[in-house]
Amino acid sequence: MTVERIYVFKKFERFWHWSQALLIIFMLLTGFEVHGSYHLFGFADAVAMHTVAAWTLVGLWVFAIFWHFTTGEWKQYIPTTEKVVAMMQFYSVGIFKGAPHPYRPTMLKKHNPLQRLAYLGVLLFIGPLLWFTGWFYLFFGDWKAWGVDGLLSLEWVAFFHTAGAFMMLAFLIAHIYLTTTGHTPTSHIKAMITGWEEVD
Amino acid sequence: MPTIRRALLATCGAAVMLTALSAFAAASPDPTSSLNGATSSKKSTADHSKFPELKRKFKTGPEVTQACLVCHTEAAKQVQHTKHWTWQSADPKTGQVRGKKNIINNYCTSVVSNEKDCMACHAGYGWKDQSFDFSVQKNVDCLICHDGTGTYRKLPGYAGHPVYKRVEFPHGSGRFVDAVDLGKVAQSVQLPSRSNCGSCHFFGGGANGAKHGDMDSSLQHPEHYLDVHMAEKGLNFSCITCHATNSHEITGSRYNVEAARTGDAAIRGKTDANPAACQACHSNKPHHEARLNQHTEKIACQTCHIPEFARNNIGTELSWDWSKATIMGEDGKRMMRKDSAGRRAFDSQKGEWKWESHVIPEYRWFNGTSTYKVIGDKIDPPKPVQLSVVGGGPDDAESRIWPTKVHRGKQPYDTVNMTLTVQHTGGEDATALWHNYDWQKAIATGMKAAGLPYSGKYDFVETELTWPITHMVAPKEDALSCAQCHSKNGRLKDIEGIYMPARDGSRWLDILGWTLALLTLIGVLVHGAIRVVNSRKAG
Amino acid sequence: MLKLFGGFFAGVLAVAVLGYIFMGSLMFREIESPFGVEETVARIQQNIQNVGNGWALSGLRNPGRAVESAGGNVLPVMMVEACSTKYSAPILKDDSVRFLSILMPCKVSVYKKNDGKTYIGMMNAGLMGKMFGPMVGDVMSKVAEDQAKFVLFDPNQPAPPMLKPAAPGATGAAGASAPGGC
Repeated sequence: MTVERIYVFKKFERFWHWSQALLIIFMLLTGFEVHGSYHLFGFADAVAMHTVAAWTLVGLWVFAIFWHFTTGEWKQYIPTTEKVVAMMQFYSVGIFKGAPHPYRPTMLKKHNPLQRLAYLGVLLFIGPLLWFTGWFYLFFGDWKAWGVDGLLSLEWVAFFHTAGAFMMLAFLIAHIYLTTTGHTPTSHIKAMITGWEEVD
Repeated sequence: MPTIRRALLATCGAAVMLTALSAFAAASPDPTSSLNGATSSKKSTADHSKFPELKRKFKTGPEVTQACLVCHTEAAKQVQHTKHWTWQSADPKTGQVRGKKNIINNYCTSVVSNEKDCMACHAGYGWKDQSFDFSVQKNVDCLICHDGTGTYRKLPGYAGHPVYKRVEFPHGSGRFVDAVDLGKVAQSVQLPSRSNCGSCHFFGGGANGAKHGDMDSSLQHPEHYLDVHMAEKGLNFSCITCHATNSHEITGSRYNVEAARTGDAAIRGKTDANPAACQACHSNKPHHEARLNQHTEKIACQTCHIPEFARNNIGTELSWDWSKATIMGEDGKRMMRKDSAGRRAFDSQKGEWKWESHVIPEYRWFNGTSTYKVIGDKIDPPKPVQLSVVGGGPDDAESRIWPTKVHRGKQPYDTVNMTLTVQHTGGEDATALWHNYDWQKAIATGMKAAGLPYSGKYDFVETELTWPITHMVAPKEDALSCAQCHSKNGRLKDIEGIYMPARDGSRWLDILGWTLALLTLIGVLVHGAIRVVNSRKAG
Repeated sequence: MLKLFGGFFAGVLAVAVLGYIFMGSLMFREIESPFGVEETVARIQQNIQNVGNGWALSGLRNPGRAVESAGGNVLPVMMVEACSTKYSAPILKDDSVRFLSILMPCKVSVYKKNDGKTYIGMMNAGLMGKMFGPMVGDVMSKVAEDQAKFVLFDPNQPAPPMLKPAAPGATGAAGASAPGGC
């Protein structure tokens, strides 16, 4: 078994990933306080910091979307059915036996098929759900001016925003764990830091 | 190409930041007002002590009024159109005719049959019974509102006439009130000061602070902590700075509250705007922070900015139990007791009271229109009778969440006719409750004066009187903090029809969501544990 | 051996952490009063005067007033101060524990919270005394016994008047006018 190193994550991508990770964790932390789940920063500060983090994330996303489209990296998220079954078998059986990873990332295809699906789900479902509801939550005072006060209720906006947050939390837990399933337990994390991934 | 890309990136980013910034700063005009409220320094162009009409001896109040009317030809007519004279007010929306003359409250209950006492606070002379002629101009009392000496006193028992002769008051107390020097008072007239308004409005309900809670004698010389607008060493507003008058009509009545004013601050001197509303000066977007301004869609200014009322050791009455009246002392005589803070707690004449200082308000949706129980209205005991109900609700755009004072009481009602009774309390005659301690006689006389049937059977029923709170605005640093409402057990825990972050949320979603997170966590831990165990076996 | 010491130190650390967390609630006690602020103060004052053992009122402090004078608002808070020379004298005479004069006079705090209810705050004199030797421990345990009686209320008794010290106010001058005092 030879160990090979390939360059998977570019500088901006790594910056985007880690700053987004920090912001999402921070927003979960402050968001659930705003939701009333616990007391940590105090309600007023939690709201203020949640909002600032949201705007920062908006800014980051604008850059990221721009980057993905100008570099063509958006293609990384095109779903594929190829090797999906093999991936599922690996996670549920092979991994316990030390079987080799069925997927080999390359510069052009850096995500395995399950990752593609999961990230696409985050990008196309959980993300938009949070963005959309969060936007209306934030601009509650302008509903009347926008003419949507008859269509929306804060209760349901908050409901779906919280639901999105729970999904994001579950994703985060699974995601962090799955980083340990690379060539070595830390090879995925190293790749996300240095850009270079060790593969079998 | 890379250069263009970078440039594009920069432009895009700048645009996002700009949007973000402008969203933060969304339309918050500077709330600092250029107005300085030093109305007390206003100097009149006339010195009334130089007027020959006033340089004489006056025997009675009406004589003074006649002298005033020589120059102020329209004044009495104007006053006669106001509530200060008619004690009556029709609701423009519901048409209900209210006013002190018509309502029944749970303080002194009703003025009917007690006019001689109650009219100590009427801006007039001689209203002693139902026969009072409201058209006589000389019976308008100018001095109660315009006295500049602070010596003009009207006592219960004289139907609104001031003290003409030195008299012992209260009767049998050994204390005396001197006769008013009407000439001196007439020459001293001025714009109404805090003590003019306060001589009645601070002492409603028969004791300092008893009635309102947000109005008592501490507003005579208020400190900054108590009232930012009236603070003597600060803005030093008088009552009429906000309750600005036009033709003796005073703005900002509790009977017709502007509960949900929106829009910009009004230009000073513009008379079509009610200057007594906070928004008249501050607009409905007075905060620098857009998020706070959003709150004005649902919350009255008073809710955050008057975190407690009666913030002094005077306090305010929270309940009046008339059913304990006529309980006499062991010697069979009238008995009186005070509470620990020295406020009236019991009197054989009147019953039992409970007082409190620094009262935390009860919060209600309010659209500015209250419905009052007026004399003769049917009631539905033993359910507590709502003597005034603040209207509105969460789905009404004209409603806001307001702080209120709820005064609870127990008072008599006719158990057959199902009406609250009118009782003759004041006076020294054969049927007055405070003289004879006989409910039956007092009610019979009162009901007769009110023109209501009385079955001869009475009992006591619980009553609630709900009034919005609007005075004693605290410094902004003392406004309610976010978490005082945005928490599970906060100030607004009983307010319905509104979603409040940190207070509300779907219980099912919480259970489901935390279960999902927990199961995910357990899943990955188990998965990881198996991997560790297997790799050890293999290794 | 290492495990044994490790376990021992871990235990010590755990106790220290627990002690640190609960120290506040051990040293001080808070109970709800069935009465309003003024009546609670008045009833405590009455109890202090009736409890014997040389107890006398030595002041009534209103720290809220100081905040008001500075232009701010706080919910009502009043401190009833009491003293008994029977208990203070032995401590004040002993050089090694004279610094405990900082705890004098004995204070009971009465205050309102945002739930609108009145609460009584007290020091746990019994526990505190134990930290300063047998003499102080003995005195303080008696103080604690009396202190418990300060807050025993009989709702059937009418509310007594609140006794205000001669010079109340922002600085909270202890009312030396009250009889007794230390």
